[in-house]
Amino acid sequence: MNVKMGVAIGGLTLKNPVMTASGTFGYGEEYADYLDLNGLGAIVVKGLSLAPREGNAPPRIIETASGMLNAVGLQNVGVQEFIDKKLPYLRTIEPAVIANIFGESVEDYVKVAKILSDAGGVDALEVNISCPNVKRGGIAFGSDPVLAGEVTRAVKGVSRLPVIVKLTPNVTDITEIAGSVEAAGADALSLINTLTGMSIDIEKRIPHLKNVTGGLSGPAIKPVALRMVWETVNAVSIPVIGVGGIMNASDALEFLIAGARAVQIGTANFLNPSVAVDIVDGIERYLSDNNLDDIHDLIGTLRI
Amino acid sequence: MKPGTFATVFSQRETVKGHFLMAVKAPASFRKAIPGQFIMARLEGGTTPFLSRPFSIYSMYSRGDDTFVEIFYKVVGEGTGAFSRLREGDALDILGPLGRGFDVPPSCRKIVLIAGGIGVAPLSFLAQRYGEGIRGTEIICYLGAVSSETLAGLDRLEGICSAVEISTDDGRRGYHGPVTGLFKRDIDLYADDTTRIYSCGPRPMLRGLQELLNGRPGVCQVSLEERMACGIGACLGCVVRIRHEGEEGSLVRVCKEGPVFDIRDVGFGE
Repeated sequence: MNVKMGVAIGGLTLKNPVMTASGTFGYGEEYADYLDLNGLGAIVVKGLSLAPREGNAPPRIIETASGMLNAVGLQNVGVQEFIDKKLPYLRTIEPAVIANIFGESVEDYVKVAKILSDAGGVDALEVNISCPNVKRGGIAFGSDPVLAGEVTRAVKGVSRLPVIVKLTPNVTDITEIAGSVEAAGADALSLINTLTGMSIDIEKRIPHLKNVTGGLSGPAIKPVALRMVWETVNAVSIPVIGVGGIMNASDALEFLIAGARAVQIGTANFLNPSVAVDIVDGIERYLSDNNLDDIHDLIGTLRI
Repeated sequence: MKPGTFATVFSQRETVKGHFLMAVKAPASFRKAIPGQFIMARLEGGTTPFLSRPFSIYSMYSRGDDTFVEIFYKVVGEGTGAFSRLREGDALDILGPLGRGFDVPPSCRKIVLIAGGIGVAPLSFLAQRYGEGIRGTEIICYLGAVSSETLAGLDRLEGICSAVEISTDDGRRGYHGPVTGLFKRDIDLYADDTTRIYSCGPRPMLRGLQELLNGRPGVCQVSLEERMACGIGACLGCVVRIRHEGEEGSLVRVCKEGPVFDIRDVGFGE
């Protein structure tokens, strides 16, 4: 096999289009025992905030039909500890490092973006305006086109790195938010984050999650994600990264055919920690079997 | 790197009502487990159950070139129900051994096990490992169950331990009441510093044990059970509040920093 797998995402060059999604892959090192990290295009690290965050009280997860709900609440070590303790390892491996960032105010986003942009060793920022599990910030920015644009513009203003904005599916029209974020200068979009959901313990008549609601992920959401990626690809001209329920190479191929420039693997990492590199191999095999020498000969080739 | 996790069911049987003992032929790469460690197991294909399930390791042994891992579990829902229907030769994926197991210091001369229900699984493995006679350690087990029909793991423990004390909630066998009540009767026997206490069971039982031991000299480690998605420290789904003396404490991962903790540090129900 000698197919070209490299893609460019708004100034960021990746050796292949497969990334691991934020919140499902720790800070990379957690998975070093289970797969060859150098086989990945990029690693998107767990969402970082200015100060460390403890996250939500447990229980935080529950399995649902073909998926799971989580309400972790952006537990993370904070941006400074990330730079001191986690980034040195990430600098030693080949995949691009994408720092997912989160704030409760525009100022928070700007501060975190500036610190990471100046840290060295981070290749791009992914701005999380779509977390459904925190009271302030997150989704509040992602569901309002004006606020979404404002955060994007502010982060772009201080970042020397490519800026990817991660969108929530919990809106009426995702293309409206996508358009606003593109107009504000985003280099790329990633979508979708989790769908807000709920599950109840009928014996105790209490929610399964302490937070009551959580974010639904896994194969249950893939058709929704695919539809939103396809709509967004048709609505914007910046690259779109497809995320949502990808469990194997054929799922990933669906997103690429729909027009995603790259994909992120999320919940599947929990079930099989080496799945992301299996997906890289599967995409490569598909291209080879279909006599395509370049991934770009596949991206956006949906026939309707 | 830990390669392929492909495993096959070697045997499976229901030992007491609703409790299944499964032996799995493990991949050659499977390392020697420390009692208290666990595996994540997943059925191949399909999406129900969707996530892997954590299981304490009940035993591990080799026969010829093959390594076998035993798990002993109670059917509580769809996931464990699906596992209970596996038969010899069926495939599953396993990952492990995972987590931090029990510490048994070299000075330990007496091991006290307090098991509630299926919590017996990791404790029986501990008894087996230290009952092999290398150190001449005395092992005493307090085993509690809902009823005499569900005294899980009793036969094996009787073959390993110096003594097995039994309690049942319905009082039809042994002490009538919770296993912690039975242990309380003998608690003064276990205050010296060559004794270590190990426990696993339902949260209310562990909380009761924590109260019993509060302010007493005994050292007790507990193995906690929690819902997990990954088992390797990434999903942050399995956290529990751990507080060392005088600290506010923090939410730590049962899969990575645990599942074994000092009972004094655990914030049950927080």
